[in-house]
Amino acid sequence: MSTFLELSDVSIGFGPPNNRTEVLSKVNLKVEENEFVAIIGFSGSGKSTLMSLLSGLQQPDTGGVLMKGREVTEPGPDRGIMFQNYSLLPWLTVFGNIELAVSKAFPKYNKAQRREHVERYIEMVNLLPAMEKRPSELSGGMRQRVSLARTLSLQPEVLLLDEPLSALDALTRSNIQDEIIRIWEEDRRTVVMITNDVDEAVLMADRIVPLTMGPKATLADEFVVDLQRPRDRTTLNSNPDYIRLRNEITHFMIGLNKEAADLRTDQKIEMPDIEPIDFTAGSRRKRGKVA
Amino acid sequence: MAESTTDKIKFRILKAIDISGFTLFDPIVRLMFGEEPNKQLERITKFIIVPILFVLLCVGVWFWMGPRHKTKSGEVPTPDVVWSSVKINDTIAEREKIKADDFLASGKDRAERLAEVQAEYSMLEGDVTEARVAVEVAEKEKAAKQKGLIDPLQENYNTKRADIRSEAKARSAMITDLAAQVAQGSASREDLLNALREDKLKGDEEKETLKLLKAEIDEVRSEKYAPLQAARAKFDSYSDRLLFLNTRLEFLEKRNLATKLDEANGQLDGYLAAFDEAPDGKAVLALAKKAVRAEDSIERLAGQNYASSVTIYTQIYRSLFTVFVGFFMAAAVAIPVGILCGLNPIFMAAMTPIISVFKPVSPVVWLLIFQIVVGAFFPDPENHPLFNFLGAIPFVKDLQVNPALVFSACTVAMCAVWPSLVNTALGVASIDKDHLNVARVLRLGFWDRLVKIVIPSALPLVFAGLRISLGVGWMVLIAAEALSSSDGLGKFVWDEYQNGSSLTFANIIMVCFVVGIIGFFLDRMMIVFQRLVSFDGAPSAV
Repeated sequence: MSTFLELSDVSIGFGPPNNRTEVLSKVNLKVEENEFVAIIGFSGSGKSTLMSLLSGLQQPDTGGVLMKGREVTEPGPDRGIMFQNYSLLPWLTVFGNIELAVSKAFPKYNKAQRREHVERYIEMVNLLPAMEKRPSELSGGMRQRVSLARTLSLQPEVLLLDEPLSALDALTRSNIQDEIIRIWEEDRRTVVMITNDVDEAVLMADRIVPLTMGPKATLADEFVVDLQRPRDRTTLNSNPDYIRLRNEITHFMIGLNKEAADLRTDQKIEMPDIEPIDFTAGSRRKRGKVA
Repeated sequence: MAESTTDKIKFRILKAIDISGFTLFDPIVRLMFGEEPNKQLERITKFIIVPILFVLLCVGVWFWMGPRHKTKSGEVPTPDVVWSSVKINDTIAEREKIKADDFLASGKDRAERLAEVQAEYSMLEGDVTEARVAVEVAEKEKAAKQKGLIDPLQENYNTKRADIRSEAKARSAMITDLAAQVAQGSASREDLLNALREDKLKGDEEKETLKLLKAEIDEVRSEKYAPLQAARAKFDSYSDRLLFLNTRLEFLEKRNLATKLDEANGQLDGYLAAFDEAPDGKAVLALAKKAVRAEDSIERLAGQNYASSVTIYTQIYRSLFTVFVGFFMAAAVAIPVGILCGLNPIFMAAMTPIISVFKPVSPVVWLLIFQIVVGAFFPDPENHPLFNFLGAIPFVKDLQVNPALVFSACTVAMCAVWPSLVNTALGVASIDKDHLNVARVLRLGFWDRLVKIVIPSALPLVFAGLRISLGVGWMVLIAAEALSSSDGLGKFVWDEYQNGSSLTFANIIMVCFVVGIIGFFLDRMMIVFQRLVSFDGAPSAV
């Protein structure tokens, strides 16, 4: 296997030069072809920035993003990105949203071919009955499925999932997890997924790379998930390997959090020594009097 | 639970009501479908009956206050007077139409119309005479009735006046005496001056008393006598109708187009026939010249149309036309410029000073500027190609587009451009960043991005802006028309103010309602458009 997508010594920050906040510093990552990599981190650690860099929506200050050895300078349909908040166009139907993507990714298709292509992907996410509905008429889970179908319909070489499930409730979430895994197993391709959920990462990924706390976040040592596929979420809970891996990662992440907290001791703010007034006591007494 | 057909119909109606912004009728529809009658009745009471009662209360206050406020133009007209002026304006419009038809009627149609009018005329003539007699009788009755009241008052007035005159005479004699005494030195100067002052005060007092007495008599005289008023109204309506029939007769006979054409054709035939009997070449030449002239006049006649005088409806039509011309001019500028502003911060920064300075300028100032600047393009409007062109288009021809209309429309456009421009810019500038990211990932080109992402996303705000623009435009238009004398509601109301007929005040108030109601419907229309293009189900403002 060869390196398909690579981040080499990538740093990015914002703010004026004299007061610069480094978001990511010296990030290195190698993703192989048809590999499912999960990047896990706390909120605010720069996960989404990392995804923007991978997709080309943002350019790094130093270092480079390489895909198949070529530098990524702009976003494109070969790196299908699925956004955290769906990013569906509200004035288009499910069909229209996907068709817009397809017509750009496959400009040579005629009308019938395009339609067939769009319908195939809508079917893949089980949304055929809702094809003519607008995003505002769909539930959160359905919207994310549309977003998934749109991303997949581009037939990208890399699938970039930016916390795709964090806005969903637990049940819908596991549903769509299963769906993503099913589709991925049918049609393997390279996936980079960002998540803040250890269970999700262990369930889905081949490799889990933790992102340290920001600012100046970077990638820590990876965890390899060598659980057998297909993974069944019901039996997985009693699998000792799964439990061990999950605990290891969780401990590591908690450790990161502690480390970050310790690092910040110098910024501790002295709180004034005051006691809060019990507002309810007074009113209770008053009410008592009236009664 | 499956939806029944009635449910489907119900929801379709409710949806239509919702989109058009008439949510007011929602409980009525629900009630008609028998949905929770108590709840609907409660809503109807709260949101329909209470507002209606309030409006009725306002009308009641108007009824009560109107006659109690005397103005230079008479009493403030009550709602019923305004309503009667609406009906009068409607009658005027209807008659104009009949007269136009009369003018163009020919052959059998003309004969039928003529017979009809003549029959009514002869019948009405008798009625008018009768009504005149009735008025005279009522006048006499009133005089007789008031005689008993006025005579004592008049007598009182006369005696009082005689008293006062003799008193004044006595006073002036006394003063003359006093003056003589002062000259002899037997009385002081001060006394004479005091006497004069007192005399002046007394004189004023007396004048005031006489005036009051006179006013009392006048009041009795001007008291309304219902039978006389009724008789006068009857006579007025009959004679008004008679006058109208007279005009109709004119248009059916002497001034009728077909009649005039026949006459001219007859004349031409006469000249041509006379050729044979002409004694010499000189006479033939004269005849030929006459014939050619007659041909010319026939041609002119054939193209003639009834010169309708303006009615409230033609004025409304023209105002609506003008406001839409101005509105579309504004939209044509505001939307592209607004999009550019939204897309490009530098362009926005460049436009900001212009927008900020010109936005608050009064329509009156714009009108004057346009009259000068745009007026320069039409030094000779009669022969200007633009107006000739517009004069040749079927429906626009009736509007008689003239420079005044252009100035009014430009003023409307100038004042209506800002809300649309600002809202479009805001709509484009506030596009969801994620949508733009989608465009970047799909590598949409400039035009695709504009057409598929930017414009659809900004459309609800664009239409919100257009809606404000149309409202502003309609408001500005009336003032612009009044000032530029461009035919329309503005000129109608201004002419009313200048003419000062008995209906002036009522007509002005009528225009107030006409403008308001049309403005309301224009606004509703824009709400519907706004709702149709908005994808987020934006609630319609009231």
